Amino acid sequence: MMIKILSALTNVVIVLAVAPLIEGIMRKITARIQSRQGPPILQPYYDLMKLLIKEDIESGESPSMQRFSAIMAFASALTVVALLPLGFGYGLSSHTDIILTIYLLTFCGVCTLIAGLAAGSTYSLVGISREMMLMIPLEPILAVALIIAATNSGSFKLDAVLNGSIYNSPGIFPISSIIILVIILASFQAYAQRVPFDISEAETEIMDGPLVEYSGPKLALFKYSRMIRLVIYCALFIGLFVPWGSNLMFPFGFLIFWFKVLLLVLLVTVVAATHARYRIDQAINYFAIMLLVSFFALALASIGL
Amino acid sequence: MNEGEIIKYLRNRFGNKIRRTDICRDRRFYINVDSDCLKDVCKVIFRDLDARFITSIGVDERQYNGGFLVAHNFAFDSWKLLCSLQTNVDGDSPSVQSITDIVPASNWAEREFRDLLGIEPVGHIYPKRLVLPDGWPDGVYPLRKDFPYDSVPEGFDENRSFKFDDAPPGCVVVPFGPFHPTLDEPAHFRLYVEGEMVRGCEYRGFMAHRGIEKLGESVLTYNEIPMAAERICGICGCVHNVAYAQAVENAVGIMPPPRSEYIRTIMLELERLHSHLLWVGLACHISGFDTLFMHCFRIREPVMWIAEKISGNRKTYALCLIGGVRWDITEELNQELREVIGKLETSWREVVKAVEKDSNLQKRTRGVGIADKKLVKESALLGPVARAAGVPIDSRRDHPYAAYNRVEFDVVVSDFCDVWGRLIVRMYEVFESIKIIRQCLQKIEPGSIQATITDEIPVGRFGMSSVEAPRGECHHFVITGENNRPRRWRVRAPTYQNLQGVPTMIKDQQLADMTLALASIDPCFSCTDRLETVDIKTGKVRVYSAKELETLFLWR
Repeated sequence: MMIKILSALTNVVIVLAVAPLIEGIMRKITARIQSRQGPPILQPYYDLMKLLIKEDIESGESPSMQRFSAIMAFASALTVVALLPLGFGYGLSSHTDIILTIYLLTFCGVCTLIAGLAAGSTYSLVGISREMMLMIPLEPILAVALIIAATNSGSFKLDAVLNGSIYNSPGIFPISSIIILVIILASFQAYAQRVPFDISEAETEIMDGPLVEYSGPKLALFKYSRMIRLVIYCALFIGLFVPWGSNLMFPFGFLIFWFKVLLLVLLVTVVAATHARYRIDQAINYFAIMLLVSFFALALASIGL
Repeated sequence: MNEGEIIKYLRNRFGNKIRRTDICRDRRFYINVDSDCLKDVCKVIFRDLDARFITSIGVDERQYNGGFLVAHNFAFDSWKLLCSLQTNVDGDSPSVQSITDIVPASNWAEREFRDLLGIEPVGHIYPKRLVLPDGWPDGVYPLRKDFPYDSVPEGFDENRSFKFDDAPPGCVVVPFGPFHPTLDEPAHFRLYVEGEMVRGCEYRGFMAHRGIEKLGESVLTYNEIPMAAERICGICGCVHNVAYAQAVENAVGIMPPPRSEYIRTIMLELERLHSHLLWVGLACHISGFDTLFMHCFRIREPVMWIAEKISGNRKTYALCLIGGVRWDITEELNQELREVIGKLETSWREVVKAVEKDSNLQKRTRGVGIADKKLVKESALLGPVARAAGVPIDSRRDHPYAAYNRVEFDVVVSDFCDVWGRLIVRMYEVFESIKIIRQCLQKIEPGSIQATITDEIPVGRFGMSSVEAPRGECHHFVITGENNRPRRWRVRAPTYQNLQGVPTMIKDQQLADMTLALASIDPCFSCTDRLETVDIKTGKVRVYSAKELETLFLWR
């Protein structure tokens, strides 16, 4: 038990240490694609540190709610991190299930909504309405993927789901799993909140949307939890679809895991740098189709295909 | 038709009400009519003869003939004519028939002479304050000759605020500006939004007035004004510089030497190059495509360097004086310029290819900010906005100036009517500009770059000049005057007209498209806001009062 708690804590520490580095790598790669020099790779650490030691300005309609949402967004993201397998075996994942994970992830998103609502600026209201519209199709798509894996493994436990059991369908060929893999890949930019699906923040339209009123430590927490969420979604994707090698003896499993994260991040960066932002209605149409197809995959999975 | 036939046509219709006509050089003509038939003549010119409205001008002539002069300038683009329709107005209680119900495009121009000169446009469709700041007292008209250029009026009320119209029912007000990441300059759009749809908007601009016209009429001299004119705009400054010089040259018949005309053409096209490159980059940035934005700016940079090498400045070239230019293009520069535009052409082809096959960008720009032929006519929209709606107007071809009648180029037209169309037009105009510069560099003649002007500039002459800025036609109107400076100098930048079309362009569109639609006219607020003296307060929240600001900066 002690080992498991320790591995969960290690997870948290490692993600806290690595998430800004991943952001830094993304910024550097983006800069290179844009034929720029780019900021130093450690810039996100400096940014966070600077924001954290700044004065906590309470602007907006409801300061206590704003503080609460910033802390909760950060805390719920860290909780998910503690539960996920991040290259150290399964950690706490055998003690939890996918329902809690989905719940915590949604809660993290809801915190952004509360943040925007509590700030009360017009731009943040437009931003949260967009965020909400995006959450409606996105959360079910992820849920469908997890449920298909759970059906195939016969358990809701996280360790049973995140070990590639999604391909263990009783049929000859896991059609439903392949379909959902394609869908999740095609929506991954939205989970990562990057162009072309960074619509709820859209700096040139609504000036960072929900976060427009935030500065200092609260902004740092939101930025930090956003970086962590990227790692979470990468870990979920890896656990669901490409878990092979993560269970190897330390440090091999660990290195393989983070290598896979890096590859995913690279993909996200390249897509973000080569696309224009979608409009909210175009994005919703896009995800509505994705959602329909994912329900179709769920139906296939339920009859064992 | 030519000038004579138009005048004959009008004389047949209105007889003695046409008081005086004047046909001048460079296919410009002036008609002075009785004030009671002004509206009818406008109707014939605008509707029957299908002229394009340029701008309205008010002039304080009380010290010469006791009255005011109101001029409506029109362009007959297909007949290559510029016309100024004028009427004299009583000096004590000046008023004139408003032509806004016939020519909707004159909306702002009439409100402007109402604000600044106190000439009342009777029957105006929307007589709201336009130019003056909110706290400006009623009955004080800063552009009248008896108002000193450096005075602050009695009774300036800082606490008076602008009254916006009521929002339509069911709509939320989303303030857009005065400060917003995609606005380079202050302007305020009050958007009425229903869900994500924009249902209407009200514009409050003119927040960056610098009183340049007033300065030109009361402090500067003929050859100082080009440098001030250039500072009207940070992007198309050279256009204003050339347009002013040409307007004065047109008024008094000075012929700049051919070499200087070629140099003017080259610099104007260099300016168009950097402006279009900048705009395509910005359009990509606004739609979230930052990679192309960065590449556009990388490609643009050598244009700035060569401009600096020619003129000593990246942007404000300080090019023209009356009758010539100040910088010569030497053989060495000629060679270097050829290389720069050669490289530019290759790399720009790649960008055009990338943009054209980007379905994502097309999705964002197709059907956004629609301005069709009808809107172009009614609001007198200009430049790429008009050309993207299939209206082939281009001052370079229609009212040739500098060396444009000696080079060959195409007017790029597209039929999309939307932001995508404007993107296409601007991208291909870059190639036309390169073509023009190449021809100029080849044909440029040796000789002087400055005409010798021996006589004093005669008083009371009218001059007009239209120059095709990257954003559309830029029009300057000059009346020569005493003391080595013009009596009246009126600037009409293209954004002045294009901005009036924006409310229609964004109506019933997504909020997300608002920034893109607005940016598609390439708005230049400083061009539009060039007038007036004091403006301190904007919006609801003010950190400093005027007094505090003054003590803060200790002006005097």
